[in-house]
Amino acid sequence: MNQILSFLSGTGSAQAIAVYRTVLRISLPLLALIIVIRSARSLLGFRREPEVWAWLRLEGDQLLPVMHWENLIGRKKTADVVLDFATVSKNHAVLSRQRDGSWTVRDIGGRGGVEVNGTPVRSGEVAYGDVLSFGGLEMTLEPVSKEEAKLQSLARTRAGKGHSPGLTLILLTLLQAMVVLSFFFCRVEPRTKILTAFGILALVEWLLFFAQKLIHRSGYEVETIAFFLMTMGLAVAGSANASNLYKQLISMGIGLAIFLTLGACLRDLETAEKLRYVAAVFGIVLLLANLVLGARINGSKNWIYIGSFSFQPSELVKVCFVLAGASTMDMIVTRKNLLLFVLYTLFIGGCLVVLNDFGTAAIFFIGFLAIALLRSSSYPSIALVFVGVGLAAVMVLTVVLAVRHFPHVGERFSGYGHIWDHMSDNKGYQQTRALICISSGGLFGLGPGQGWLRNMAGEGASDTDLVFAFVSEEWGLLLAATMIFALAALGLFVVRSARLGRSSFYTIAATASVSILLAQAILNFFGTVDFLPLTGVTFPFVSNGGSSMMCCWGLLAFLKACDTRQNASFAVRLSEKEADRT
Amino acid sequence: MRSTASRTGMALILAGLLLFGLLSFLIRYAVFSDEWISHSNRSGVASIEQVTDRSGAVLYEPHADKPYSEDALIRKATVHLLGDREGNIDPLMLKQYIPQLVGFDKINGTYGMKGGNGQVELTVSASVEAVALQALNGRKGTVGVYNYKTGEILCAVTSPTFDPYKAPTVADDADKTWEGLYLHRFFHSTYTPGSIFKLVTTAAALENIPDIQDQTFNCTGSITVNGEVIHCQSNKAHGTQTLEQALANSCNCAYAQIAQQVGAQRLSRKAAQIGITDRLFVDGYWTKAGSFDLSGADANRVAWAGIGQDIDLVNPCQYMTWMGAIANGGKAAEPWLVRRVYSGGKLRYEAKTTYTSSMITKAAAAELTDLMHNNVEEMYAPVNFSGVKVCAKSGTAEVYGKENTATFAGFIASDRYPLAFVVIIEEGGSGARTCSPVAANVLWACINVMKAES
Repeated sequence: MNQILSFLSGTGSAQAIAVYRTVLRISLPLLALIIVIRSARSLLGFRREPEVWAWLRLEGDQLLPVMHWENLIGRKKTADVVLDFATVSKNHAVLSRQRDGSWTVRDIGGRGGVEVNGTPVRSGEVAYGDVLSFGGLEMTLEPVSKEEAKLQSLARTRAGKGHSPGLTLILLTLLQAMVVLSFFFCRVEPRTKILTAFGILALVEWLLFFAQKLIHRSGYEVETIAFFLMTMGLAVAGSANASNLYKQLISMGIGLAIFLTLGACLRDLETAEKLRYVAAVFGIVLLLANLVLGARINGSKNWIYIGSFSFQPSELVKVCFVLAGASTMDMIVTRKNLLLFVLYTLFIGGCLVVLNDFGTAAIFFIGFLAIALLRSSSYPSIALVFVGVGLAAVMVLTVVLAVRHFPHVGERFSGYGHIWDHMSDNKGYQQTRALICISSGGLFGLGPGQGWLRNMAGEGASDTDLVFAFVSEEWGLLLAATMIFALAALGLFVVRSARLGRSSFYTIAATASVSILLAQAILNFFGTVDFLPLTGVTFPFVSNGGSSMMCCWGLLAFLKACDTRQNASFAVRLSEKEADRT
Repeated sequence: MRSTASRTGMALILAGLLLFGLLSFLIRYAVFSDEWISHSNRSGVASIEQVTDRSGAVLYEPHADKPYSEDALIRKATVHLLGDREGNIDPLMLKQYIPQLVGFDKINGTYGMKGGNGQVELTVSASVEAVALQALNGRKGTVGVYNYKTGEILCAVTSPTFDPYKAPTVADDADKTWEGLYLHRFFHSTYTPGSIFKLVTTAAALENIPDIQDQTFNCTGSITVNGEVIHCQSNKAHGTQTLEQALANSCNCAYAQIAQQVGAQRLSRKAAQIGITDRLFVDGYWTKAGSFDLSGADANRVAWAGIGQDIDLVNPCQYMTWMGAIANGGKAAEPWLVRRVYSGGKLRYEAKTTYTSSMITKAAAAELTDLMHNNVEEMYAPVNFSGVKVCAKSGTAEVYGKENTATFAGFIASDRYPLAFVVIIEEGGSGARTCSPVAANVLWACINVMKAES
């Protein structure tokens, strides 16, 4: 090994190294771009083929497919089962599939009412063969047979078809090898540690890949994107402070455990629903512990130290918050739990203001908006929510700005927009250095360990708040831009697959998660380049920070749970298996 | 489900915002990265090894123990271009070329650039600068000379100035000795032009009034326009004046009448066409914009404006460029200070000549040239060189609460010595008397430098 290392960075072949480096420099961002484009095409280009869970047979043998676990039945065009008859209300009823495969129907204010076998019901079970009546319009609920279910899953396009995820992962591994080579050619120490860290990363991503293959799941794009971002995160750590390499990997390990456990729980709606309450309580406990035990760093009191191990509870609360906010159709329609959730949000917001963690508060605010938007069943209530929350936000902002004994917030805000006048004070030092270093890196970067921002890691936050600039300086603006494309692809994927979601629970959770990830990227990136004030928010998967890493993997589980492409996700039970249970 | 799914808009908006932000940043990078990198302390001005004048004389070596020129006069004459050690004067000209000095380009950033050994070649001549500063003799003002065919600035001197080795303390400056000490007046000041502005009025008249050269104007020493009196210098009655005589005698009464004939609109249009109110960008220096605003002005103010008083203000560098345009038949080369920049042993920048837009028609420029040469023959003996056709106009600008500002502007109509110049001396009194000897010395120095080069 040492011989290979000394050959690769040998002094005798300086010219060869220069050539290699030039080739690596140019090909690295291009390879990264190919990886992200392949993943994005697979995530965004799939055919939207719905799953059918039951049939509704109308008079005259007309069959209507029931395509979700929760179906709004009504006259309006956005209903899941559209009954365009004058006697049917716009929002008439909700037909829901239970864990054991049975069905229930709930009257949500349909004018003509809902009847099961001639008996009017507010809410009740429906068996296959039962005659349902919506405003006098009669139909029979019929099952999907096992054969049909099997045929359906055979007929649907498998996830990743045409964009082999395995090949993409091979490319990612190649990218990681090239990153390590770049480190060697630039003679960054400690070589063994860097090689080991990237080796572990590659091993983990392949293990996870094969584990999913074993259970016949082939959608690996979401994970590939996460591992690509992690690769850049390790590249930053390797250059800034190699002792963070293993920390990041350990955090990834814990994050993966959360990811897999949460994903497995999300297969079952009932389990997931139960988990909500546990999560909500856990979130409260975390924040209270933070309030009591928190240490103040840079003006924010959002760190807890346990021995030499430190973490930010508010990061993990994000996962709890998403779980608490997700909701099934039944509850949306009946507005059950909405007040509880609003109170929960206000509690979290209050804690964050006390902790003076303005950036995280903003993230929660965006997460809340995403959830509120999805949960509100009518537009007037959306407006109401927006007004209420908007007012609250203004108040919080006023309080934060008024309370001047939070020095770092005030200073950072006052430098915003004219950073070049504050090159050497707190108001503009970070962003001006970021912009200078982004320029210095050009499109292809200066190489690992060759940048200047690495001197500003840790206290100077160049490996966290300014990580976009860090990657830009050492690996080039193209590669840094690719990180943003990757996250945007995740966002668009959630939007695209939402329509096929089995339950609104999954759609809400996935949208909220991806909104949080995107909002973090926005605040981090915009802060670095002075589009917004710096808020100290991390860039998902890239910024140095254990709690942030765990949170990101946790949020990723919700994305997997909304991926209903055929055989895509371990967090989604195969539909023929679901049919087996009935 | 479907109605819930239709409200995933938040994720869509955020993804869109993120991509939009990225796009805007990439555009900003494409436009501004030069500027960002020029703030780099690490490799900025510090990467300069040597700054030389047009003849190779060393003006500045930032890393040497004694960084500035050995000659005290040259040090004083060039400190405003090179920057001082206390940081009171920003070396805008040198900062402009930091991207080249650090080997920056937008594709590769600073990659592969081992930096250092930056060499900057200027177009100014140290010896001319010294002559100009000596000629100003401690008076506040500025002298500028440039080649109107190539754009090279040979001289850009400002006064008061100081020896960077003996920087004065200016905190207690009751008698205003150090007023505007850190200011490069040539780029960053504007002055009431006085009668040199009659060249603008004359240009407008030549272009707009076909028989202007056949007209005569009566001067009794003063004239009443719109109820208010306009005087000639010392109330001198010039009698019947042709345009040529009126310009040579700087007859305010005649020019009051000419300005009336031209009218506010055409005079304003001419000033705008010449760029009196524009800012020029000269190697890191944005010149201060002049002013010329006749909106709502009555006949009296129009007359004063045509004479060069009223609220007219001109920037010396911009006015020098206008002189170049007359000399060059309408369009002048745009002025510049830096000829070449080397770093890492490679040529990173070489100046190219660009031209201004047309300021005056070719025919009018030729007529004006003759009129201005007549001025020199009649009035300005010091610059009436034999064998070289010098054309000029002087001015004595009244400034409220101060002695008059002496102004002098013109050019040499010559292919061998295509030089345009401007001399401004604050509280200098008569432009003809105070400025023309300064101009003569500086022009001779320039001619000698150019002779030596050819």
